Amino acid sequence: MYQWDFAPVLANFDLLALGLLNTFAVTGTALAFGVPLGLALALARLTGKPLLAWPAGLLIEVFRTTPPLVQLFWFFFALPILIRVEMTPFMAAAATFSIQSAAFFAEVFRGGIVSIERGQWEAGRAIGMTHSQAMRRIILPQAVKRMIPAFMERAIELMKTTTLVAVVSYADLLYQANELAQKTFRPLEVLTVAALLYFVCIFAVSLASRALERRLAVSGETTVR
Amino acid sequence: MEYQWNFAPIFAHSDALLVGALGTLRIFVVCLLLGLSLGLLVGLARYSTRRLLTWPAAAFVEFFRNTPVLVQIIWFFFALPILVPFEISPMTAAVLGISLNSAAFSAEIFRGGIQSIEPGQWEAGRAIGMSYAQIMRRIILPQAIRRMLPALTNRGIEIFKMSTLASVVAYVELLHQGRLIASLNFNPIETYTVIAVAFFLFLYPLVRATYVLERRLGRSD
Repeated sequence: MYQWDFAPVLANFDLLALGLLNTFAVTGTALAFGVPLGLALALARLTGKPLLAWPAGLLIEVFRTTPPLVQLFWFFFALPILIRVEMTPFMAAAATFSIQSAAFFAEVFRGGIVSIERGQWEAGRAIGMTHSQAMRRIILPQAVKRMIPAFMERAIELMKTTTLVAVVSYADLLYQANELAQKTFRPLEVLTVAALLYFVCIFAVSLASRALERRLAVSGETTVR
Repeated sequence: MEYQWNFAPIFAHSDALLVGALGTLRIFVVCLLLGLSLGLLVGLARYSTRRLLTWPAAAFVEFFRNTPVLVQIIWFFFALPILVPFEISPMTAAVLGISLNSAAFSAEIFRGGIQSIEPGQWEAGRAIGMSYAQIMRRIILPQAIRRMLPALTNRGIEIFKMSTLASVVAYVELLHQGRLIASLNFNPIETYTVIAVAFFLFLYPLVRATYVLERRLGRSD
């Protein structure tokens, strides 16, 4: 029978905590760049001008249909040679996940904007608003409210995807856990604790998002998936 | 100085890439079959009214949906062998991680699909004397699966993309082979570009098919 021993894990818990912080850092950076970029992509795709809509559509489809790990390898190993810059694992991860999540957020934004009734556009035009005024003052505020559940779901997916940065040796929670497992020869305990840490953080966000979704449903908002 | 693209070394290693592509396909098919069938079982367990079935099923779904799949694969590869008396191969670890993860996600799709069928269908089945299992098999599931088709195809695409994670535990698939070729020839740009394009070319038709399917089902429902 295997003797479980969590003492080495608890003694080095600061390493795991540091890894968790780094996981949050990557997720936060990707969100900070991914959301505005996603909005820009969605607006470009919806303009109806082929010169804007086509490149935006291509970017969205490419980043949605290639595996994130392949993208990360491309940004980490290939891009630095092409543009001649030193790429740190953090930069590669931030670039990959910002663009990748932007592609997914773009579809969330598009779904939200498309779901707003045509009458809202017509009302804006009737009182003399331009397209961008109607978008900014009437459509987006309503669309964003509907998008919140889909948006939270994407953010959770993003946090789970950031574990891939461990593969290019960025010190996120998974990487730190792997290091600690090799140092302490306790892979079972260390990896179990790491999995539980991920579970607690992500499950908390899931529960919050479900509560929010229920409140939005009560206030009569349909949600966009 | 412009970078000189040179794809010749990759074509020289096309046999290695072919082996990788076969590895990717193999793990994809195994995980798709295991993930969806296990997902159906878990989905049925979650839908049932017996607490002894719903509780473990719910715990399974929540746990596997709320932890990263890479953490699961690494756990199965490095931690599980300590608990079980046999060796865990990279293939086994990756299949366990990806299949259980997809089972959790597809269980929710199956449950949602079954719940979306009107109660009248159940009542009609009961009225002509069918048992629960008969109604589920002959009336509910055939209709529910039609509605779930777009979501299930999406799951399939996700599984295909997830298969690259198996390279982390040194399972021989497309990305793993690409990594070898890139380090042999010092040509990461061309290699990773070819791999990305290969995935895109394979998956994009599937994505389009999902759109078409969604539109057609949306019209007929």
